[in-house]
Amino acid sequence: MEPVTQATSAAVGSVIKPPKSQSPWALARRKFFKNKIAMISLVFLIIVTLLSIFAEPLTIPVEETAKINLTQMSKEPSAEHFFGTDKSGRDVFARTLHGGQTSLLLAFSITIAVITIGSIVGATAGFFGGWVDNALMRFTDFMMNFPFLLFVIVLKSIFLESSTATLIFVISVLSWTGTARLVRSKVMAEKENEYILSAISIGCSPFKTITKHLLPNVMSTIIVQATLTLAVMIVAETGLSFLGFGVPMNIPSWGNMLQEARSPDVLTSKWWIWIPPAAVLTGTILSINFIGEGFKDAFNPKSNR
Amino acid sequence: MNTEVKETTTNIRDKRNNDVLLEVRNLKTYYPIKGGIFRKTVAVVKAVDDISFEIKKGETLGLVGESGCGKSTAGRTILRLLDATDGQIIFDGEDITNIRGVSLRKVRKDFQMVFQDPYASLNPMMMVGDLISEPIRNFTNRSSKDLKPEVMELLTKVGLPEDAYYKYPHEFSGGQRQRIGIARALALRPKLIIADEPVSALDVSVQSQVLNLLKELQDEFDLTFLFIAHDLSVVKHMSNRIGVMYLGGLVEVAEKSSLYAEPLHPYTQALISAIPEPDPRKKKERIILEGDVPSPIDPPKGCTFHPRCAHAMPECQQVKPTLKEVKPGHRVACHLYN
Ligand SMILES: Nc1ncnc2c1ncn2[C@@H]1O[C@H](COP(=O)(O)OP(=O)(O)OP(=O)(O)O)[C@@H](O)[C@H]1O
Ligand SMILES: [Mg+2]
Repeated sequence: MEPVTQATSAAVGSVIKPPKSQSPWALARRKFFKNKIAMISLVFLIIVTLLSIFAEPLTIPVEETAKINLTQMSKEPSAEHFFGTDKSGRDVFARTLHGGQTSLLLAFSITIAVITIGSIVGATAGFFGGWVDNALMRFTDFMMNFPFLLFVIVLKSIFLESSTATLIFVISVLSWTGTARLVRSKVMAEKENEYILSAISIGCSPFKTITKHLLPNVMSTIIVQATLTLAVMIVAETGLSFLGFGVPMNIPSWGNMLQEARSPDVLTSKWWIWIPPAAVLTGTILSINFIGEGFKDAFNPKSNR
Repeated sequence: MNTEVKETTTNIRDKRNNDVLLEVRNLKTYYPIKGGIFRKTVAVVKAVDDISFEIKKGETLGLVGESGCGKSTAGRTILRLLDATDGQIIFDGEDITNIRGVSLRKVRKDFQMVFQDPYASLNPMMMVGDLISEPIRNFTNRSSKDLKPEVMELLTKVGLPEDAYYKYPHEFSGGQRQRIGIARALALRPKLIIADEPVSALDVSVQSQVLNLLKELQDEFDLTFLFIAHDLSVVKHMSNRIGVMYLGGLVEVAEKSSLYAEPLHPYTQALISAIPEPDPRKKKERIILEGDVPSPIDPPKGCTFHPRCAHAMPECQQVKPTLKEVKPGHRVACHLYN
């Protein structure tokens, strides 16, 4: 190409300003921001997350929340203790915020791990097919058929120093299979499109074909799956901790706090001990689900008005 | 559209020389059909079954045949997007049938494809500017920004406005998308372009525009084309030579003039008789083919066309005819010409 033509077209090119982007992402984002329920949910989730992250400067340090105070047992809400105290005299407001930190950290970490493992396994199996797919999917089936609860309980008793990190690890290792299957089937469908052949024919490596062409087109599915996983993992933490197999007892979490409601006395007459964590938990799960619905709607080309 | 498309005969034929750019020898591509719990191969689809032809530098070979006869499979196999079951693909003197990895990626810049479906062949998530510069970025370490002037020039060449650069595929019509696909295929200045029914998904009104564009670009960039189509009238205006496919095999290859003036294979004769005659005063006898195209999983023995052929002889049910030169430059696979 002659330099002259290059220079002229460069001059013409620089005159044209990028218009308001019509990229599928930008369109989906705009649609999501217009969704009132999803936006309210998002604001709620952000507030809960921020309150949990800044639990320490807002309330007492986390070590204090575990201290038993026999002089302050089961006190009703007051100016000193916004949400009252529990049966061991611990401040329920501080424990709700610190508990949120534990529960959300756990759920977010597991979700990131599950989505990462699931997407890598699913995309690899779906893209390459053949024996790669066979091997990976047999392994996925194997992991899927593990009795989840039993495995958590056994592993938790092996790792005696059961910490939050162990729990994150164990649940992540056991929970990526559904995502892997979903991503695989989505990739297999998407792979049939000629743009994948086109990517290969212009010299993209398999890695680049997957990351630059395939994944952006299955990303909407992955994001929706991530929100679902997040909600499920918050419930899982609560369930396991409620049963006593979750987060260690000395660390506040929403599940550990709800465990106190197992006593009928607390459940019926000391409502302030369990209502706050239960309410925040419910609100959080609901808002995550609404956000997920919002994503689903925003990514769906058919719901374009 | 017949009237709007420029005749090629004069301006392109001079450009042909005798150097062969692509040679395909006894190419076969079978799709395995897996079944049962162990996913064993239970049958094969013989999508391309033993085809041989060559394309000279600067010429256009048209490949025609009904839907499902294996045209796309042949094109994709030649460009190494599918693995050949057997045979050889010799491109520019190099046997590329079995090369892999980096060396395969290196030859890819010399041949490109224009795809059939403009709605599925462009990544919807990518900006048009990035779509067109991507092939060049794959082979150099130049950035999108750096390549912008070249992309703008390509956009102009394929007849798109420069502000298309910032748009996304969904903002364009089918014909415009096909132009984007053509710009993308051109970006690497390939020697060979395989156009796989590039206009069959488009409105009739825009078909001829895209065909004319392809011809102009062929002149400008000295391109060699393998032009795939399912209908003879489109191929006629694009090609120097034409190959007719039936059920995975090549039944006749000839110069365009020779093929239209004197089709030898009964299948080609039927195809040509089906082309609508623009002049209603001319009487033409239309040959109607009996029956359906058999399955490529279990093709008929002998000549694959014999169950539908009006001239079938006992020999046709037993012996598969091979392509033989019957007249200079005119090859046919049919026992009638032994
Ligand atoms: N992935 C596949 N697996 C199994 N069979 C296939 C596959 N792709 C194509 N086929 C079969 O191979 C044969 C040839 O298909 P191909 O797409 O090459 O035909 P074509 O001539 O391009 O048809 P069209 O005009 O419809 O594009 C058909 O019978 C088709 O059903
Ligand atoms: Mg096809």
